[in-house]
Amino acid sequence: MAVPVIMPRQGQSVESCIISEWSKQKGDKVEEGDVLCVYETDKASFELESPASGTLLETFFTADDDVPVLTNIAVIGEEGEAIDEFLPENANATEEPEQPAQPAEEKYEDTSAATEQPQKEQPEPAVSQESDTDEFTRISPRAKSYLQKIGLSQNDIKISGSGPQGRILEQDVINHIEQHGKPTPTAAQAAREEKSGMPAEGTGLGGQIRREDLGKTAAPAASTTPAQVLEEGADFTVKKLPNIRKIIAENMHKSLQNSAQLTHHLGADARKLLNLRKQVKAAQAEGTLQSNITLNDMICFAVIKALKKHPEANSHFLGDKIKIFNKVHLGLAVDTERGLMVPALQNADDFNLEGLSNQLKKIANDCKTGKIDPELLASTAASFTVSNLGAFGIEIFTPVINLPQSGILGVNTITHRPADLGDGTIGFVPHLGLSLTYDHRSLDGAPASRFLQAIKQEIENFEHSL
Amino acid sequence: MEDIFDLAIIGGGPAGYNSAERAAQNGLKAVVFETNRLGGVCLNEGCIPTKTMLHTAKLLDNARDANKYGLIIPEASFDYPAIYNRKNKVIDTLVNGVTMRLKKHQVTVVNQKANITGKSNGNINVEAGGKNYQARNLMIATGAAPFIPPIPGLQRKNILTSKEILDLQEAPESLVVIGGGYIGLEFGSFYRSLGTEVTVIETLDEITPGMDKEIAAHLRKDLIKRGITIHLQTKVVEMQGKKVIAEKNGERLEIEASEVLVSVGRRPNVEGFGLENLGVLVENGAIKTNDKLQTNIPNVFAAGDVNGKSLLAHTAYREGEVVVNQLAGCQDRMRYHAIPGVIYTNPEVASVGITEVQAQKSGMDYEVKKLPMAYSGRFIAENEGKQGHCKIIVNKKYNQIVGIHMIGGVCSEMIYGAAQMIESEFRLQDAEEVIFPHPTVSEVIKETIFAFKD
Repeated sequence: MAVPVIMPRQGQSVESCIISEWSKQKGDKVEEGDVLCVYETDKASFELESPASGTLLETFFTADDDVPVLTNIAVIGEEGEAIDEFLPENANATEEPEQPAQPAEEKYEDTSAATEQPQKEQPEPAVSQESDTDEFTRISPRAKSYLQKIGLSQNDIKISGSGPQGRILEQDVINHIEQHGKPTPTAAQAAREEKSGMPAEGTGLGGQIRREDLGKTAAPAASTTPAQVLEEGADFTVKKLPNIRKIIAENMHKSLQNSAQLTHHLGADARKLLNLRKQVKAAQAEGTLQSNITLNDMICFAVIKALKKHPEANSHFLGDKIKIFNKVHLGLAVDTERGLMVPALQNADDFNLEGLSNQLKKIANDCKTGKIDPELLASTAASFTVSNLGAFGIEIFTPVINLPQSGILGVNTITHRPADLGDGTIGFVPHLGLSLTYDHRSLDGAPASRFLQAIKQEIENFEHSL
Repeated sequence: MEDIFDLAIIGGGPAGYNSAERAAQNGLKAVVFETNRLGGVCLNEGCIPTKTMLHTAKLLDNARDANKYGLIIPEASFDYPAIYNRKNKVIDTLVNGVTMRLKKHQVTVVNQKANITGKSNGNINVEAGGKNYQARNLMIATGAAPFIPPIPGLQRKNILTSKEILDLQEAPESLVVIGGGYIGLEFGSFYRSLGTEVTVIETLDEITPGMDKEIAAHLRKDLIKRGITIHLQTKVVEMQGKKVIAEKNGERLEIEASEVLVSVGRRPNVEGFGLENLGVLVENGAIKTNDKLQTNIPNVFAAGDVNGKSLLAHTAYREGEVVVNQLAGCQDRMRYHAIPGVIYTNPEVASVGITEVQAQKSGMDYEVKKLPMAYSGRFIAENEGKQGHCKIIVNKKYNQIVGIHMIGGVCSEMIYGAAQMIESEFRLQDAEEVIFPHPTVSEVIKETIFAFKD
């Protein structure tokens, strides 16, 4: 039975996505989960996996086509199966005779026609054919269109993109222009006509790229954090901030300026957690457990349970009102090469411990590979956040709230403290430090402390059988 | 322990005083060393006094032409001591202005001779008046001085430079100007208006070397029309008292003059303040700098005439600002391709970008359009019987505007707009979108731009 491949909806505001390139061609055998194509929004690039195993019977759109979300873009099935019922209204099947390739120049000028009939547009040879061999030629249609607007073509801009396999996205071009300057009218025309690369920086007014700058040391294939050196002295280097750094800086500063946050510290007996962690390791060694359930997963699980009992902490403080969540959308601070990212795991309270463990790993991994849905990175996507610095041996810290959330839990390292072992003997027990920062506008000290106690109790009474 | 300054500046001229103020605006602690009055050559013995005097000369010229504009001024004449005093008054006003600005910004001004003594802990030590000053950065802005060529018989007491000529107490009967550059021509133009017999001697085949040839020729003809004698390709070989002996095409010329002005160029001041104690690199008599005005020592900068790049006050201002911007953490660099050049003679000349000769030499495929200033209604209204021109040079490859040259009218006041076009690499089609106010003389630029469509 043939199944359609549907263009997913990426966030509420996204109405259409552009197919960047097909990873599989019509007629290819595919397995469920194989990447069929790469598509993108204005913010990010995604891989579309095959919903079934079989043959890619038909593709209804070509690379560079702008496809409305929830439209069928391809069909998977057995060879010979009929595909007609899946035909979308506005697609062009790939059998359509190839149009003669137009020179790039003419195409740029005829943008009105291109918008009216996006499905007729032919993929740029440079993208579809050379993309496997030259990472610099991988560029998204949105990025290309942005370049056109400022009088450039993809050949002018030698940057490495943040999309899959270094594909250049619109945001990369915007960042590039911001960092390296916009070309002067003459430089833009010269770059286009002479196919000379954009330089690492412009030497003109306000960093404008001048004609004589063209072709001078193009920006190197940037690392994930392209930090442009602005000034180098004998004993210092001044670098431009990458965008993500600017955003973090702004958010953190705003949080401290615009809230009444303070931190309470409390320790929890971690014997049960450590015991379970031992069991997990043993079960994994035996092969009876798939999920590598970490201490952090267990702590998050405990936090979710505590949040369900203290909904006032599972909230957004909105100035004159408070939004209390019935579900727990757990934010997790993730350290990536590009900087701190805090993705939200939506409906985290729906998962059991293994499920939670798997889901947390997935969103953390998506952040590291740049595939995370940008909407999940918004501070409003999470109702509460956990930040764990225990691995660094941190014993106490004051995490900063992601406004408008009411709180964030900092998880510290495990130390040993003397404690009553229950029979009047004093011994050393492992002690997990918990630092709860809360917004005093939202919560008072006593309820915040009660919530922190609840987390402690969940941790100390952690019961789970593998 | 004494305070450490962020920036020490040796020289209180345009590079120095302007950067001190900019540094203070950026929260940097600055000290300026200047033995004379603040303002440098520009304010005290250059741009400002000459322009003050030239304005009087232009008013006088206009008064003599009054009948062309329907005015009756029976006898236009001048009062030299009054011109002289007014010049000094203008200088005083401006020097006081600079002094007040630096005071307001809490810049330390040391009215003592500065001597660089060396480095300690990476900081620069400057000694002045028996006191040591430490600074994290040093800007050398010591300027330049008139160059006196080695001519047999030439004695300092018999000649004037641009400095001494400002102290003349009366207009000389006759003046020989050795050197046909802008400084000599401006003085020549001024004294000619006052009735002095002026003779200009230039070794090259045209006056104002470096200016566009057509514009220079136009200026030369206008000056000759005004009664100035100009000898081109003429070399001064000897001086006997105030008698100038020169050779022109193998012929010997002897010119007796009441005063002789030597204006053959200026040399950077690189000696006498301890430059050698830091090992700052001097090349061809000027401090070598990069486009960030850094010398071979990273925290030592050289701005203004002393680096020999472009001996103009407005270049110095900008160079100083480039230095301060870097110290304040902003990326900046100096560009020399769009610096306007102005000659304040009557008529005025203003230009920016490359000349036609430079375009030819570079092998560029270029196109030139030249329109008379009469294309501007305002020019006709205000310049009875006079002529002017606007000449634009375009690199045909992308129709990029690479040079704009003007003579006539108030072109000194409108050249900055042309500089902006060249700085921003405007093509003709970009410049066509610029709106010029009407009626102004500047509209001739617009007309010349559209002339490329013919």
